[in-house]
Amino acid sequence: MDPVIEVHHLTKRYKDTLALDDVSFQIERNAIYGFLGRNGAGKTTAMSILTAQNFATSGSVRVFGENPYENPRVLSRVCFVRESQKYPDEANAKTAFASARLFFPNWDQDLADELIDAFRLPMKTVTKKLSRGQLSAVGVIIGLASRAEITFFDEPYLGLDAVARQIFYDRLLQDYAEHPRTIILSSHLIDEISNLIERVLVIDEGRIIMDQSVDDARGQATNIVGDAALIDGFIRGREVLHRESLGRVASVTLLGQLSAEERREVAAAGLDLAPVPLQQLIVRLTQRSGDAAGTSTISTEGALR
Amino acid sequence: MIDDGKALFLQIAERVEDEIVDGTLAEESQAPSTNELAAFHRINPATAAKGVSMLVDKGVLYKRRGIGMFVAPGARDLLLAERRAAFADAYLRPLLTEARRIGLSPDDVRALISEHATPTTP
Amino acid sequence: MTTATAPERRGTGSRTLSVVRLQLINTQSFVWVPLLIMTATVVLCLLIFAMIPGDGLKPSGAAQAPLWYFLALGIQAMTLTFPFSQAMSITRREFFVGTVVVGAIGAAMMATIFLGLAGIEMATNGYGMNGRIAYIEWFFEPGWASAWLTYFTVTLLLYVIGFWAATVWKRFGTLAIAAVLTALGLALVIALFVITRTGSWPAVIDWFAQTGPFLLTLGALLLTAVLSLGAYATLRKTTV
Repeated sequence: MDPVIEVHHLTKRYKDTLALDDVSFQIERNAIYGFLGRNGAGKTTAMSILTAQNFATSGSVRVFGENPYENPRVLSRVCFVRESQKYPDEANAKTAFASARLFFPNWDQDLADELIDAFRLPMKTVTKKLSRGQLSAVGVIIGLASRAEITFFDEPYLGLDAVARQIFYDRLLQDYAEHPRTIILSSHLIDEISNLIERVLVIDEGRIIMDQSVDDARGQATNIVGDAALIDGFIRGREVLHRESLGRVASVTLLGQLSAEERREVAAAGLDLAPVPLQQLIVRLTQRSGDAAGTSTISTEGALR
Repeated sequence: MIDDGKALFLQIAERVEDEIVDGTLAEESQAPSTNELAAFHRINPATAAKGVSMLVDKGVLYKRRGIGMFVAPGARDLLLAERRAAFADAYLRPLLTEARRIGLSPDDVRALISEHATPTTP
Repeated sequence: MTTATAPERRGTGSRTLSVVRLQLINTQSFVWVPLLIMTATVVLCLLIFAMIPGDGLKPSGAAQAPLWYFLALGIQAMTLTFPFSQAMSITRREFFVGTVVVGAIGAAMMATIFLGLAGIEMATNGYGMNGRIAYIEWFFEPGWASAWLTYFTVTLLLYVIGFWAATVWKRFGTLAIAAVLTALGLALVIALFVITRTGSWPAVIDWFAQTGPFLLTLGALLLTAVLSLGAYATLRKTTV
């Protein structure tokens, strides 16, 4: 265990909303994390507080063992790429990178140049006139080329089209393999990043509801498809995360793993075991926590998009 | 990367094993590095590493210090034995289940096998 | 928890200097625009002097123009550059010091230019037209050094006022800064009213004359320092 970030009982209150509710977790060195959750769940708030851009109401945050607030020793080793970053009026991509070069000690201009090419970023156009995708590209390039020991990406790739996103993921992995560092990616597009990340941190309504490796997370649930009546026989007291039915056929997602013996039984009964992709699992879990809290959740699949 | 529900690192390991079994990756030849696997499959290097280390534990790969991962001598035989043992469970059971479902008896299945197995099928 | 050694980390001093460079990269505004405004102002004044008949002293208040620009600069330093500075992982203190230093450099530049202009005015007897842009008699009473300081202070004060106001706005919102400015305006109006009602204008003017430009400049410098600290205190808890 080599944590670079330690969060203890972090709470953030805004007048009448509790953005973060007694949150505790650790971030391991040199791992890629997926920081997942719905809009407004608290992801950006948490990341802002970790980078001392926002302030906790109570609780403690330690980055590299120290409080990050007004701490250049710590902050110079951290980079926070936001969703919609504001740039100075006359800034363009060129000046933005020149600035980043001044402040990030590990800045790699060669990498930046490669990425500028890959994203086809116009260097001299004023940031005001850049498209959403181009602005996202600027943020993403700063994040990658900074080679900061801890880098946060807060959905900066929302403006990027699918091709550009793939470029980002590929370059991220490539650079991470050669220069390992701690990376925290927050995203709605869980399935897209599920192969990149090593650990999953899920936050819902200000609380951490999952903090484990991706393999463990994936292994948490089972999805049985087939005759609804037959499926019921297999539930055996396990928690049902979700049920969908079309006539007599149902798809039931259960919390828990089936034993080898049970898997044989399922096959023998003519039912199918379908994999539960990470996105689905997390959607179901956040819905469930929402239902438990009594809040009405907006319907299923679209929710985390 | 097709996600068929099996852990990702297992899928990666299996692909390497496939190459060993079909001869693409010869014994004592160098296996792809963790980073190469990660980049190729577009997955986290830690996941690739897990797959590789599983293969090392299994005796399929071994490490040559300073150089990299190599296919262990006897790996192919090891894998063939493993797969043959699992063949019945992995392929025959589902086949027979499906056959039953669509109303084919074991004899029907045997007839179909004879029909479809040609001498040239390796 | 381990703290791995990072490569060559630069001290806060050099990072603060980098903030200065940051402001200069992003806004040529600290150099070229003031010069441009200055030049335009001078040219306009010269043209106007030429048009005014007679040989009497022709003072011009136009010297103000570039100075008020620094007010805008101070505001922009906060509203436009602060969010970006956070993205660059710069601490608020580094940002504050660097931004004030840049303002001071700009103010020094302006003061020097004004002094140069004043020199020209003296040498050419007001551009041959007895015009005055930079040589304001009262500033130069205690000497040229004092005049330089006065120009420097006025510029920096305007810059800091802009920066301070923008910081208050960023932290507390539009209503807050509007309230503060209104209160200040009200206080000023009340003061003027009282002075007028009590017939104290001669006394006030006398006081100004007695105190003299040098001491008043020092007072303004003090005010600048106070506002700066106020801005810093507000900045410390400001979020983007």
